[in-house]
Amino acid sequence: MTPSTHPFEQEEVMAYLDGELAANHAASVAAHLRECPECAALAKQMRDVSVQLSNWSVEPAPASLTKNLDAARAERALAKVKKPRGFDGWLDGKFSLLTNRWVWGAVSVVAVVALLIAVGRPNLLRAPEAERMASRLAYARRSQSAELATKENATSDLESAQTATPGPSPEAPNGQTQPMIARTASVSLIVKDFGPLEASVKAIAQRHNGYIANLNSTSPQDAARALTATLRIPSAQLEAAIAELKQLGHVEQESQSGEEVTKEFTDRAARMKNARATEERLLDVLRNHTGQVKDILATEQEIARVRGDIEQMESDQRALQTRVDFSTVELSAQEEYKASLESAPPSTGRRLRNAAVQGYRTVVDSVIGFGVWALQSLPTLLLWGFVAFAPARWLWKRLRRTPASQS
Amino acid sequence: MTSDEQLILELQQGSDAAFTELFLRYRERVYGFFRRRMNDAAKAEELAQETFLAVLRAAQRYEPRATFRAYLFGIAFNVLAAHRRKTALNKAQSDNAPDEVSDPSGTNPEIVIWVRQAVERLEAAEREVLLLREFEELSYEEIAKILYVPVNTVRSRLFRARMALREILATKSENLGGRK
Repeated sequence: MTPSTHPFEQEEVMAYLDGELAANHAASVAAHLRECPECAALAKQMRDVSVQLSNWSVEPAPASLTKNLDAARAERALAKVKKPRGFDGWLDGKFSLLTNRWVWGAVSVVAVVALLIAVGRPNLLRAPEAERMASRLAYARRSQSAELATKENATSDLESAQTATPGPSPEAPNGQTQPMIARTASVSLIVKDFGPLEASVKAIAQRHNGYIANLNSTSPQDAARALTATLRIPSAQLEAAIAELKQLGHVEQESQSGEEVTKEFTDRAARMKNARATEERLLDVLRNHTGQVKDILATEQEIARVRGDIEQMESDQRALQTRVDFSTVELSAQEEYKASLESAPPSTGRRLRNAAVQGYRTVVDSVIGFGVWALQSLPTLLLWGFVAFAPARWLWKRLRRTPASQS
Repeated sequence: MTSDEQLILELQQGSDAAFTELFLRYRERVYGFFRRRMNDAAKAEELAQETFLAVLRAAQRYEPRATFRAYLFGIAFNVLAAHRRKTALNKAQSDNAPDEVSDPSGTNPEIVIWVRQAVERLEAAEREVLLLREFEELSYEEIAKILYVPVNTVRSRLFRARMALREILATKSENLGGRK
């Protein structure tokens, strides 16, 4: 029987017999059953099955069922009357509250929200801080590259700049104030071949138009040889020089930093300008003097003092400019040292004693470590346990119900 | 006659008589529900009692959206499910004990065994739908709610169960006829 030959499916015929169809649908199935012998046969088979099933009767419920139920009810009624008052009763109420799934649901939701806040809040706080940091870094990077460009353009003027009185001011060609940054780098190396190291370092400094400000080399007995040097390298060539230095051996540590000195530089430039103006005025006073010798001497003295100030400031300014133009590279290199077997191993007694001390330390460390771990992790574990309890309980109930409903 | 639903609402108000009336109306059917699903008569009685006690306890939670019959057999089904879980855990005392055939008055015991064995050969999920429909007389929708399956699934399982049962009973009746 297929839908092509019958307007209704077999299941619909069954549903009609079970009274599960809507009135108009049921009427059309009934009409079809009257006309179609095939479907009528199916309906008869269905009815037969039901009739045969109805033969499966069971014995009447035993009288003890009524008796036992009455007893159970009486017991229940008694328990209700004797319902504990005071603390026990209160406790009872509280426990029924705890078994309420809505209460559990609400508590779980609150716990999850609290957890999300706890996890998310530091990140939220960190975000603006990170943004500030990023903008600061971007600014530093921008200013550094701008400065490098300026320096590259002005490499030829560098010599004169250092000897000339105030040095190039931090005014960029476009009139914008460019930050001046004194850069410092430090590199630690482990070198295999220590012999030619000093010469190589000197050669690198020379190649990059820099110089060695300080160099110290030690070669103790039974220990690795070491070399520390301070190199001054033109800022524009700093990266290249560091790259070459790093070729000399295995880099153990490397760092770079920059200090912005723009404010110091402009402040001093302004003070120098003022001092020069003062000097100029004093010289004018001296030229057109009409006063006494005493006044002339006082003016001379004042001029000498101002001159001294100006020179001091000029030299400071030059030093600062040098710091900006020439970056400082602190190099420390150590020879890769292979220790040779020296004295005999320590005596058995000493070794046992050392082992005992070590063992004691390990025990103390592990006890403290466990305590620290417990204090750090237990609150989190408890929290997660609490959060996971209600869903796990629900899932467990659900899983337990599923096989039963299928069996 | 007061309807079942009316009675349970009275029970909610604390009427003992209403419970007694409901118990009398459904005692046999609830006992039959368990008895058809297990061989142990004492166990069936115990579970029937448990079901009625559960009705008494949970009467306050009854809402007049469902028929009382569906509500009652829903509880009975849950009691049965809990019992099956327990017996599944200690399989030693499972229902595989020798058939302690009930002795229904006025019915040929041979036919009872025959029908029962035929039903036992059905697939578990289909058998449950068939029993709930034929003996507990629940609607497709009520069965669907109790078993947590869609109504269409109930309908197709029921159809398959009836078709399979028709086959089994047809072969059995041939064998029985041949023997006689």
